[in-house]
Amino acid sequence: MLSERIQQIHTEFESDISKVSDLKELENIRIKYLSRNGLISSLFDELKNVAKEDKPVVGKSLNELRNHSTNQFNVLKEKLESTSSADGEKIDLTLPGVTKVLGSKHILTQTLDEIKIIFKGLGFSVFDGPELESDYNNFEALNFQPDHPARDMQDTFFISKDFLLRTHTSPVQIRVMNSHQPPVRAIMPGRVYRNEAVSSRSYCMFHQVEGLYVDTDVTFAELKGTLVSFARQFYGEDLNYRFRPSFFPFTEPSAEMDITCYLCHGKGCKVCKQTGWLEILGCGMVDPNVFGFVNYDAEKYTGYAFGMGIERTAMLKYGITDIRVFFENDLRFLKQF
Amino acid sequence: MKISLNWLKEYVDLQNISNEEIISKLNMSGLEVEDVVNQNEIYKDFIVAFVKEKKKHPNADKLSLCTVDTGKEELQVICGAPNVDAGQKVVFAPIGTLIPKGNFRITKAKIRGTESCGMICAEDELELSDDHGGIMILENELKQGTPITEALHLNDVILEIAITPNRPDALSHIGVARDLAALFSLKFKTPEIKLPSSHKKIKDSASVEIEDEINCPRYSAKVLTGIKVKESPAWLKEKLKNAGLRPINNIVDVTNYVMYETGQPLHAFDLDRLSKNKIIVKSTKEETFFRTLDSKERKLPAGTLMICDGEKQVAIAGIMGGENSEINSSTKNILIESAYFNTSSIRKTSKILSLTTDASYRFERGIDPNGTLYSAERAAQLIFEISGGDILEGAIDVYPERIIEKVVELRLNRLKKLLGYEIPEQKVKSILKYLGFEIAKENSGSLVCKVPTFRPDVEREVDLIEEIARINGYENIPTISKINITLGEKFDELEFADRIRNAATSLGFFEMINNPLQGEKSASVVGNKIRVLNPQSADMMYLRTSLIPGALSVVAKNNNVGEKDLALFEIGNIFNQKNLNSAINSFDDFIEKQTVIFLVSGKSSLKKWNSDEKNFDFYYLKGLVDSFIMNISLDNVLNDSYYHNAESIYDISFCKSYENTVLGSGGKVKKEVLKQFDIHQDVFCFEFDVELLKKIPVKEKHFVEPLKYPKIVRDFAFVFDKNISYEEVSAFIKKSGSELLKSVDLFDLFESEALGGNKKSMAFTLEYFSESRTLTEEEVEKEFLNLISSVTKNFNAKLRGN
Repeated sequence: MLSERIQQIHTEFESDISKVSDLKELENIRIKYLSRNGLISSLFDELKNVAKEDKPVVGKSLNELRNHSTNQFNVLKEKLESTSSADGEKIDLTLPGVTKVLGSKHILTQTLDEIKIIFKGLGFSVFDGPELESDYNNFEALNFQPDHPARDMQDTFFISKDFLLRTHTSPVQIRVMNSHQPPVRAIMPGRVYRNEAVSSRSYCMFHQVEGLYVDTDVTFAELKGTLVSFARQFYGEDLNYRFRPSFFPFTEPSAEMDITCYLCHGKGCKVCKQTGWLEILGCGMVDPNVFGFVNYDAEKYTGYAFGMGIERTAMLKYGITDIRVFFENDLRFLKQF
Repeated sequence: MKISLNWLKEYVDLQNISNEEIISKLNMSGLEVEDVVNQNEIYKDFIVAFVKEKKKHPNADKLSLCTVDTGKEELQVICGAPNVDAGQKVVFAPIGTLIPKGNFRITKAKIRGTESCGMICAEDELELSDDHGGIMILENELKQGTPITEALHLNDVILEIAITPNRPDALSHIGVARDLAALFSLKFKTPEIKLPSSHKKIKDSASVEIEDEINCPRYSAKVLTGIKVKESPAWLKEKLKNAGLRPINNIVDVTNYVMYETGQPLHAFDLDRLSKNKIIVKSTKEETFFRTLDSKERKLPAGTLMICDGEKQVAIAGIMGGENSEINSSTKNILIESAYFNTSSIRKTSKILSLTTDASYRFERGIDPNGTLYSAERAAQLIFEISGGDILEGAIDVYPERIIEKVVELRLNRLKKLLGYEIPEQKVKSILKYLGFEIAKENSGSLVCKVPTFRPDVEREVDLIEEIARINGYENIPTISKINITLGEKFDELEFADRIRNAATSLGFFEMINNPLQGEKSASVVGNKIRVLNPQSADMMYLRTSLIPGALSVVAKNNNVGEKDLALFEIGNIFNQKNLNSAINSFDDFIEKQTVIFLVSGKSSLKKWNSDEKNFDFYYLKGLVDSFIMNISLDNVLNDSYYHNAESIYDISFCKSYENTVLGSGGKVKKEVLKQFDIHQDVFCFEFDVELLKKIPVKEKHFVEPLKYPKIVRDFAFVFDKNISYEEVSAFIKKSGSELLKSVDLFDLFESEALGGNKKSMAFTLEYFSESRTLTEEEVEKEFLNLISSVTKNFNAKLRGN
């Protein structure tokens, strides 16, 4: 009987399709069951021989068989196609993908960016200044008296009697104070030059970030708080710190800030010269003489200033032992960061 | 400066304080301890030993086989020194001892087949001197087994302290001791001077006259007669060695000792070599020559402050004595000079002569003008003690105008305002007193202080505040955890440079940072270079005039290490002199500006399994530059222009301009330029003037609704005469099309034999759409056909069949 044939072909189809593993076998299934001369089509041909009263039922189950098997076929076809190429061969998914070259900022720029983000978050503006400076801005207005040994602290490249390559970013303090009235809160990053012999530890050119805050009630305690906040954000929350008295002509009192050596955690190692401490910056309260040079009222205003070397900071953070590597621009170095 | 802890203890009682505490306090008070040499630690294992027997090593001619008695046992030790012998007392390093020189540990070793159980030491191995001539031979009375820390008094702790330029007072043991006394609240004392009396009066045997009172405000002197020049006693030599000085003879050693004790440089003249027994201090009127006691002939410019005798120059004041009046072994009578010289005069001369001495170092920082006599007497006393003789009665002390203590008022509320915390008045007063400041008057809320003349750095209230803060400890200043932020205008002058960097890196460029100091070759490629007056070397003599030469050097360096494929950028300042012949006397004489360079060389993409390799070329550079300006939102604002200049460093080049201002240029670098830099591959680069770029007004961005209607796209290709440029055609198409034509894109370009030698084919894709309606095929087709005919007509071009 036809309804038995339908049942039988259904079972055969299910069995056959369950064994299919590639598109070629699937095509054979299509030819066997679903093509114009396939088994299911031939069942439709037999429908005319069925008794009229049985036709609706048998016809319905035949349609169901056709829809079911066509559907099964399509689902499997899609599945097989998605894992193989058109000609039915397997593809090698392990072949390398197509990559794009991503450029990168110099590690010194990246380090400065990190520093900048922290200070901008603390309400600092960012100012720039020239590298070829006047002796006045670089030394005199910063309270370096002429013929004073303090000038020996910074070996200078001279361009003429009154012009030089700035030895620190501090002259930008003078420029900013000359053009703005308090409150002034700014950092001033830039390139500086020192006439020092080139070695793994020093180069004739490097980068600094200067900081300055002048207002009516700025205290040394605030300087400490601000710089400790910076250091913790930059080097890590769990660090210890200390401020040691030092000397800079443009700050009084002056200090140097040390943090726990990140390598040995204060136990003493080669990097910190067994002291357990790393010096990270110089700072102090703006010297009243400097306020005199920029016509700020030194009775009314107080301020702090600080400065740190970016190379040194990056060397500490990334374990770089030779400063010259920053300026060789070897692509193999640049690509690391 | 080297400071001996044992020596310090003569002025301040540090007995109950550990070395660690002392070092930590010094560090925390501004006297930075850079290095610590603890002799007790270094020499703890070395002992005195007795060489009982010496035999030849069986297998080596130059080695001796010694039997060494350590007091506890007898050991076989091999020694290579020529001077080792039986019967000597020597310094012995038993097994396990760490040798300071070379930092190695003694182990039991077999040397040429024979066992050696320790080492007999030479001075250099103990880092006592550089002497490696032979082993140290000790006094015979010393007992074997005695530690050398005891036997040789090697029990000191030497601190290397970095003294900042503002603290000349701390360039002495007394100065450091005074700080320590303040830091630990300890008693501080200076040596008492008691001189024996004499029948002879100093004024009968010598006289001093100051001609230049400005540069020599005070000159004190003592005279001793009948002294004997000889080797210094052991205690003196030890002290000088620990301070890093080489002992010379008892007279010179005492003057050095007193300088390291009080900070006052002294000079001893052979009185019999001073003509007319006279000293005259004066500045030279003309250039002269003078032979200093280091046997060097020195040229002195006019205006040099000199010490002269009755007829000649005998010393460069405050810097170095002369050979002609130096102490020698037959010297009997001496004059000890203890003077105060003007700081800047000494500094100037020291700079001109490139001669820095212990004396000039102190004078140029400023010694105590009121301490000269004390130091002269202290030296006289010590010389008398160790070399005998007669200290003549009285002193010569020419001091025309006494330098008096400055008076500075300290307001306690100012102290609090600056530091952010309050220090009790009692504590403030105590610190000031310890440091030698006299409180002349106490007002309510303020202290009037007399500043001792050995502290030239303290002149103002703020200097006193620093002293108090420093001694009370910066660690006691609170670290506040709240700040106020001003809500005013914020600036970021580096923001534009940041945008450039972000654009460049997103285009695949790596950032370089080059040294702006360059050699002549690099600095001469373009522009007017500026010279450094005191360059470090010839290859850093000029400031860069452009970023190009530095970038080319980077290409060469990378090529040398096998990195051939480069996309690099740098943003930095360049320097050009405005007028070649005039010096830089003002900011108007030169231009410093920021520029950015983009450079590509080698392959833009490497051969891969699914793609071919490609080289960077001119059009790649052009596209990168266009992408860059798009990234910084300056597309549609800048124009391209092309010109050829024979002087240019480029073979082919293009410029970007805004209105009539050229903002940057670049192209393919000429082979001859590349050759100068030793580069053997094509290089393409472009340099922009950042300051000009920054000034171009950027159009504000407004939201544009994405298109709602379909686009209609048409292609065509024409054969043109070869000399017709892409730009002419694309401009013509844009101009001829209606407002419905929204974009024109070149998608194919070729030349071939078939087209004819002077022809080329260009194919364009045209995009039509309207923001307000759907276009019909018919209207676009009509426009398109019109365009075909006008291009054909205008360029005499031939439409290519599909």
